Amino acid sequence: MKLPLSWLKAYVDFDDTPEGLRSKLTFSGLEVEAVETIGADLPGVVVGEVRAVAPHPNADRLRLCTVWDGAAEHPVVCGAPNVETGGRYPFAPVGTELPGGLRIKKARIRGEMSLGMLCAEDELGLGEGHEGLYVLDAALDAGTPISEVLGPPEVVFEIEVTPNRPDCLSMLGIAREVAALYGKPLKAPATDLRASAGPVADLARVEVEAPDLCPRYIARVIEGVAAGPSPDWMQRRLTLAGVRPINNLVDITNYVMLELGQPLHAFDLDRLAGPAIIVRRARPAETMATLDGQTRELSPDMLVIADAERPVAVAGVMGGADSEIADTTTRVLLESATFHAESIRATSRALRLSTESSYRFERGVDRETAEAASRRAAALMVDLAGGRLAEGSLDAQAPAPAPRTLTLRVQKARDLTGMDISAAEIQDIFRRLELRVDRADDASCTVTVPAFRSDLEREVDLIEEVARIHGLDQVPSPPPEVRVVPDADDRPFWHRVKLREALCGLGFREIMNYSLLSERLLADTAEGGREDWAALPNPISQDQSILRPSLRPQMIESLGRNQAYQNREAALFELGRVFRRDGGGAAETERLAIGLMGRRVPEDPGEAFLAIKGVWERLASHLHVEGWSVEPLGADPAWRAGHAARIVGGGGAEVGRLGLVHPKVARAWRILGPLPVAELEVAPLLERAFGSPMYRPFSTFPGVERDVALVVAESVRHADVLAAIAEAAPPELSGVDLFDIYRGVEIGNGRKSLAYALWYRSPDRSLTDDETNRMHDRVKSVLRQRLDAEIRED
Amino acid sequence: MQPDEIARIHEEALAEAREADSADALEAVRLKYLSRKGLVQDIMASLKTAAPADRPAIGQAANRLRAELLDAVNRRREKLAEAAETSGPAFDITLPGRWPGLGSIHPVSGMIAQCADIFRSMGFTVADGPDIETAFHNFDALNHPPGHPARDPRDTFYLEDGTLLRTHTSPVQVRYMQAHPPPVRIIAPGRTYRRDTPDATHSSNFHQIEGLYVADRVSLADLKGDLTYFASQLLGARVQVRFRPHFFPFTEPSVEVDFSCHVCGGQGCRVCKQSGWIEIGGAGMVDPNVYTAVGYDPEAVTGYAFGLGVERMAMIFHGIPDIRLLYENDVRFLAQF
Repeated sequence: MKLPLSWLKAYVDFDDTPEGLRSKLTFSGLEVEAVETIGADLPGVVVGEVRAVAPHPNADRLRLCTVWDGAAEHPVVCGAPNVETGGRYPFAPVGTELPGGLRIKKARIRGEMSLGMLCAEDELGLGEGHEGLYVLDAALDAGTPISEVLGPPEVVFEIEVTPNRPDCLSMLGIAREVAALYGKPLKAPATDLRASAGPVADLARVEVEAPDLCPRYIARVIEGVAAGPSPDWMQRRLTLAGVRPINNLVDITNYVMLELGQPLHAFDLDRLAGPAIIVRRARPAETMATLDGQTRELSPDMLVIADAERPVAVAGVMGGADSEIADTTTRVLLESATFHAESIRATSRALRLSTESSYRFERGVDRETAEAASRRAAALMVDLAGGRLAEGSLDAQAPAPAPRTLTLRVQKARDLTGMDISAAEIQDIFRRLELRVDRADDASCTVTVPAFRSDLEREVDLIEEVARIHGLDQVPSPPPEVRVVPDADDRPFWHRVKLREALCGLGFREIMNYSLLSERLLADTAEGGREDWAALPNPISQDQSILRPSLRPQMIESLGRNQAYQNREAALFELGRVFRRDGGGAAETERLAIGLMGRRVPEDPGEAFLAIKGVWERLASHLHVEGWSVEPLGADPAWRAGHAARIVGGGGAEVGRLGLVHPKVARAWRILGPLPVAELEVAPLLERAFGSPMYRPFSTFPGVERDVALVVAESVRHADVLAAIAEAAPPELSGVDLFDIYRGVEIGNGRKSLAYALWYRSPDRSLTDDETNRMHDRVKSVLRQRLDAEIRED
Repeated sequence: MQPDEIARIHEEALAEAREADSADALEAVRLKYLSRKGLVQDIMASLKTAAPADRPAIGQAANRLRAELLDAVNRRREKLAEAAETSGPAFDITLPGRWPGLGSIHPVSGMIAQCADIFRSMGFTVADGPDIETAFHNFDALNHPPGHPARDPRDTFYLEDGTLLRTHTSPVQVRYMQAHPPPVRIIAPGRTYRRDTPDATHSSNFHQIEGLYVADRVSLADLKGDLTYFASQLLGARVQVRFRPHFFPFTEPSVEVDFSCHVCGGQGCRVCKQSGWIEIGGAGMVDPNVYTAVGYDPEAVTGYAFGLGVERMAMIFHGIPDIRLLYENDVRFLAQF
């Protein structure tokens, strides 16, 4: 909402600087978002006409202009890109002093004489624009003082009005706040009327068929008006407020809307059939042409203003082209009505048409303002358009609700705000806000709420009024009172913090991707389970149209992006929620994705697989995940054949997958080597994490290492060897390490040699060589039997 | 062997050991005297032919020679080893170290953990809620009447069944109060979604930290005091908190919260856009309608709620110019945190 301060001053006489007012308004709930100065007092600066533009011989970006100031031509060097022959721009001749303190002097710029300057917005102190010269109307006479063109300097505030304060969408509403803040009286505009024509009931009729959507409709008729330009003061105020003047009749409706907050509409009475105003719901498939020249399709949930034959306005949104005020209009039917906010909002949305009028009705306009605005606009039409007012008004209204009374408990206000405020101060604030104090003592205060403050419904709303007018800077700031709620349990959150730290310790960087992704990415990463994808019916773009079913696609994308950025390596993880279609909605679970790219990934696929498996093993060990195993993953377009595994938890459920991305998928990101990733369910991962592990005693006696190298068939897996060792193992076997895998001609085709170090250690004594050898021999013999292994003795 | 001859051998042996200029030369000295065929052994052998009265002296001399020479050889060996270590070109200690590095925590989750840690010190616990919410938890219970603009499908992502991607973390308030009687002192960090077109400061996907304190007598002053403490722990003791009146459907009174600029101390600088203050979030006293919706008695409790924008805080405190950097996952960015 634009607020020209000169207009505001018509209603309240406050004595403060614009900066002071800005602060007062902002800290009482009307945030001043921007301050603009329109017009300027710039002695010496005149309209300059550029008569010629030529290139500067010594500088590509400068031009030589010939500027006519109404008396003489001056050579001016100009660097602005938008200077054109025939254009009018503010011209500061030699000797002028500009607002920034710059004094224009005779100058030689890159060897060319320059006598004066063509100015941009910032140079005139009008704003921040410095992209080019301030362009003036080309019809202006050169030499006209710029102050005459721009008008005297005026400060205009841009105010953010919160949705609870529709009363502040007007000059008078804001003036009322200002009056309360400064303790000054409010001067409301006069609304005296003198009728000079016959009774209005003889000229038109008003029927409200939908009183639920239109609680009040007031029509007045002004005859004998002459359309023409409105007076300068009105045009200026409208312009400062950001509304383009059109003609006196239209301008008056806009002016009163800005002044009082009541949208008005003026119909040409002679173009209304009947002449009647019928406020009704639109008929099925009814259409009308609105003022903006578009044909609108209406539906029966929309409220229209109709005459005897057809709709003439979309109620509260926009008038119709057929009944519009024209230069020939002599009789005006002036509408000042109250419409149901919800209905206007729905209509405005459905028609994708938002106007100054609908904006105000959506937020709420009170019924009493309708009468004040009707009188005010009618008076102005008489005064400014030479009209004769018909006697009386057509006022169709549902019974008015009783004014609301509210009681505030002083102690409650003190308790809720923490402010030290007295009953007297509270009463004073209410009076300043035009709340009628009906009853007051030290403990409470009962007020009647004026119609324009429909937002005040409860005691707490009054407390807010007290707080903001008394000033939130008065709220004390005591040190926190530490209060512990005994049964609250937030370990899951802190476990995740620790999980992140553990991954960070393993060298991984945390990434974050959006929860929404594209179908394209899912296809590119060969993500399966399409029937489980939860797609949004109203996505903002195809890029973000599906709730991610997995973290893997974006992990691959992130690794690929880092490769594209020429980053030499990336070790990444993401902890986040994934979503699965569940009926018409979605179910969510939490997952962890891990991925590796770049120079530290081994080129050999097996080694690369073991790299990501190693990450999992370190993590599982840190988190005390026990009893897990890996199972091969069958053919899957997402994973590289033979190099991907399903991780199965102790209970038999799959807890995740790890392995190498299918080369076809990796190639889409120009990654030719192995691309290891893993994706894990978080819940099973954290089941036992960060608990209190029980101490297990360890031996203090020396241990003995014995190696065994066995040659077995390629089909024998490490897990098979471990199982066989476990079968033969004495309690003294405390560790098994695989330290070498060897294949070679001397071993034979289809066979491999595996070398293990076995550690024997007793909890209560030193083992003798003989004892150890017996244990080790037994292991060797079991390996021979179970695995058909040939034990290599060195 | 005569004592004077032993003494001469003794002196020569020590001198040779002292002067040996290499490990090999030293080993030769050791062998010459101390090996099985060495000179010390010769002295011992001469005992057999020596006069019985001389034998103790000769034996002692030989033993002393063996001990002193052994000592001298060892000392010389250490010296030579030391010299070998320091000879040759000096090792380049400026070479890069070799040990796998740490990873990094994303600035958004780092910010969340940092905030949670501070609020924990004030007795807050962390609560959680789903990303997919019901309209009841996200809007109705938070005093957004049907037809409220925020509920429009142009602003909020809905699923087919009418559930939605939560537009703020405030529904966690509702869920928590429904499940727990007062007092309540929680924060709820989480992902939120709005149908905003992405640009440098907007993302359809971002994070908030919700705060809620409800008890028998909680005031706006408690809110200011708690946030002031939070600000001082996060940014330094001199940071001030300021309230500006505002409007939110689920709080009354409602305020916007500013911190005084931690960079310039309120003088005005680039970070605070010359204002001296940084807008940090919205807050207020919980609206009585919210208590009614969750089954609390609005006359029996009061409380405050606040919402902080995590990306916004991370961007301000780390000087990140574009919100999209947070979701690009470029390691050159991630490695800085």
